[in-house]
Amino acid sequence: MTKILLANADKPGQNTIAKYRERGGYKALEKALGMEPSAIIDEVKASGLRGRGGAGFPTGMKWSFVPRNTGKPTYLLCNADESEPGTFKDRLLLEREPHLLIEGMAIAAYALGCHLSYIYMRGEFEFLERPIETALEEAYKAGLLGPSVLKRDFSLDIHLHMGAGAYICGEETSLIESLEGYRGYPRIKPPFPATHGFLASPTVVNNVETLAALPWIISNGAQAYAAIGTEKSKGTKLFSVSGHVKKPGVYEVDLGYPLLDFINNEAGGIPNGRKLKAVIPGGSSVPVLRAEECEGVLLDYESLLKAGSMLGSGGMIVLDDSVKMPEVLSVIADFYAHESCGQCTPCREGTGWAGKVLRNLVAGKGTKADVDRLLKIADMMEGKTICPLADADVMPIRSFVTKFRSEFEALCAI
Amino acid sequence: MPKFTLNDQVIEAEDGQTIIQAAQDAGIDIPHYCYHPDLPIDGNCRMCLVEVEKMPKLTPSCTAIATEGMVVRSDSERVKEAVRGVLEFLLINHPVDCPVCDQAGECRLQDYYMVYGLHTSEIPLGMKVRKRKVIDLGPMVVLDQERCVLCSRCIRFFDYVTETGEMQFFGRGDHVAIGTFEDKPLDNPYSGNVVDICPVGALTSRDFRFKCRVWFLHSTDSVCAGCSTGCNVRVDHRDGTVFRLLPRRNTAVNESWLCDEGRLSFHELQTGERVVRPMIKGRDGIHAPVTWKDAVRSIDSRLKEVRDTNGSSSILGFGSPSATNESLFLLKRYLGGQLGASQFEFRADSEDKNVLEEEDQILRHFDKHPNSMGAIKLGLTSAELGGIEGAIKAARAGSIKAGVVIYLDPLVRRPGDDEAEGRILELIDSLEYSVLLAAHKAEWHASASVVLPVAAWLEEDGTYTNFQGRVQLAGKAIEAGGDALPAWEVFAMLLHASGAQSPWMSARDVFATMAESDTVYRGLTIEQTRLPGVVLR
Repeated sequence: MTKILLANADKPGQNTIAKYRERGGYKALEKALGMEPSAIIDEVKASGLRGRGGAGFPTGMKWSFVPRNTGKPTYLLCNADESEPGTFKDRLLLEREPHLLIEGMAIAAYALGCHLSYIYMRGEFEFLERPIETALEEAYKAGLLGPSVLKRDFSLDIHLHMGAGAYICGEETSLIESLEGYRGYPRIKPPFPATHGFLASPTVVNNVETLAALPWIISNGAQAYAAIGTEKSKGTKLFSVSGHVKKPGVYEVDLGYPLLDFINNEAGGIPNGRKLKAVIPGGSSVPVLRAEECEGVLLDYESLLKAGSMLGSGGMIVLDDSVKMPEVLSVIADFYAHESCGQCTPCREGTGWAGKVLRNLVAGKGTKADVDRLLKIADMMEGKTICPLADADVMPIRSFVTKFRSEFEALCAI
Repeated sequence: MPKFTLNDQVIEAEDGQTIIQAAQDAGIDIPHYCYHPDLPIDGNCRMCLVEVEKMPKLTPSCTAIATEGMVVRSDSERVKEAVRGVLEFLLINHPVDCPVCDQAGECRLQDYYMVYGLHTSEIPLGMKVRKRKVIDLGPMVVLDQERCVLCSRCIRFFDYVTETGEMQFFGRGDHVAIGTFEDKPLDNPYSGNVVDICPVGALTSRDFRFKCRVWFLHSTDSVCAGCSTGCNVRVDHRDGTVFRLLPRRNTAVNESWLCDEGRLSFHELQTGERVVRPMIKGRDGIHAPVTWKDAVRSIDSRLKEVRDTNGSSSILGFGSPSATNESLFLLKRYLGGQLGASQFEFRADSEDKNVLEEEDQILRHFDKHPNSMGAIKLGLTSAELGGIEGAIKAARAGSIKAGVVIYLDPLVRRPGDDEAEGRILELIDSLEYSVLLAAHKAEWHASASVVLPVAAWLEEDGTYTNFQGRVQLAGKAIEAGGDALPAWEVFAMLLHASGAQSPWMSARDVFATMAESDTVYRGLTIEQTRLPGVVLR
């Protein structure tokens, strides 16, 4: 496995700027500042890097949507609102490699013509507020941020902005609303952030992991990155594994690696002699896979889609045969009900209703009609909302109820 | 001007119009809650979803701009399912308040349920989300958070129209509740509008609360008589009592809004005693009631006496900026045409200066009369007299002996009203012979030689000319009571008594005559005075 992001994450005390520079840090930025911004965008396109927050949109293409010469400033926003259940990979990068992120942001800002950038970090990461501020201070002191980055004719300010505890603010337009000081309600698209984002100006929102991959791509070249992974899923991906595995944690995986190999080898396999029952491969918003469905599935965007799920954020939750699926779904549904921003009707009412029906079912007070009701609620919500949070509730509801129906019905007296 | 099809019907849209706007203009209503033609678009209710060819997901028709060749369907099964779904979602946590909710009968949840819903509720009452009810938001508005469908119209109204930002959502998910910060009462002159735009009974009118079920009300189109803006209104009344005013949408005058004072101005109308009979002051100085026939004959012969003795310049016609154009026109025709009077005024305050002066940036003008512009355009200003002060002086000096005065109480009060009323009394006191046409009774009427009962606003059809010079038809909603008649009819009787032609049977007829005569109304038809009204050249 290639170590692009986690090459130095295991060793203690590696997150200072001195240590970072010792191992070659900020050399990629230096190289980038000698390139044309358009060349950097081309390089990122050629690398095949896709958004690592969950959507998997080609990063270079996203950057190329930003119009130049609008007369308005361009903004780069780092989405550090990591809130997808099961996902804790960005946290590791923020803790152990803050300068990797800062260098990646500086490269991206230079390519986009951006001079003011924000890191939007989820409020629950308050213990990381000071460390990130410190890393930024270090970067300013070393002349890597400020009016003249690395003494070149390029100015860049990066500020840290803390969120206040809302999953919805990981949605890019919601993030922008929150950053502007409003309630974190997603915006109607079009217009898209590329043309009308932060302060109605061209804006790019990128995930922490996406930005952290840039220094390696610039240093080693797009071809080297594209050589890793599969035809359409290039490079490496961080997977945060939790649940019934012997070695939960964050792993960096070449895209295209077999899912079951990853669970049994890297993650150590199922403990206590139990058997695998189900996997949620990419965060609670993706459909669950039964153990049988995992045969032959590779950890890349296409293979998981074909198997009926998604790569998503890479927040993998492994469930053994001791688990009662309705309980798991109830916990997941409670999450979406709690996090729905409430702006649009189907999500606001549907997530709440589904959560209540499931709680009833798990408490043994439900009926078989309630099981069908869950599917009906899912159908009513899907595809009709301003943002995909409702769809993110639909995926687990539909996949759990369809694939483990007998467990749900067993809870019902009538 | 892109052409697109909606349910196989070709519609031509304006450039930049959304599908729902173009459809509304073409008379097709796509169901919606959060969309409002005079508020910024929000797209949150998801009720207006339509199928647009080539788009994989259903599209909200309030955000999608109509483009050339677009094929849209709002009548497919897929759309009907989606709309039914949104409606069901809105109803799951909605309290079953219909029996006690003012909105019943004009509630979009009820209306759309009958068309798109008709489903059985699948959520037990105990599972519904509970929120606060009967929250006092000040003199105009009562809030019930449970009934709210979170369409955000009220938020957008206060953010973008009044720019005062009093209302906002609090909380998240299905616990989001609408309200003001710490329940602070709404303290702005337009707060009543949020009751109109709230599609459900979350925001209701304190003034109208529990007074009448809406299906018992009759509606009449009229124009507010509170100031020179002339906002278009709908008067809801029953059995001779007005219950409320609602705005009628006129994009050229008031869009969808009314100010609170204007909205409540009908109360002023229904307060206090009315002048009920024509009255003539006898030799003993006391008013005695007479018939209209006797009153009219007496007035005409007395005014002719004054004219014959002192000349026609000794007769003054003092109109009211609250009287209709028809009344002022016939006032002039009688006094001017029959008696040769040439002195006409209407200014008891500074109405002519204030008619254009805005009191705020939204709707209100300082001039609290609906027809100052009408009085000006009909020539009721005298450069020589310069207003009531000049008239009083002339009367005191003896150059004006007699006067016919129309005085109608303003419906929106301001400091200074008493002074203006006092000046009218001064004028009457200074005249040897005075005929006062009034609606509401006052002590000082005792000074007038003759008092005639006339109809007030909403008691007669008539036109007003607003600050823009826009002539608008104000409809009659209720009867005047007693022997009161519209002022124009009084002058018609006087004209008849004096031997002139008097063929008019309605205010419409008078308007038609105005439109034939040498006035600013030449060439207009009464139909033109309906929405949106017609602006004088």
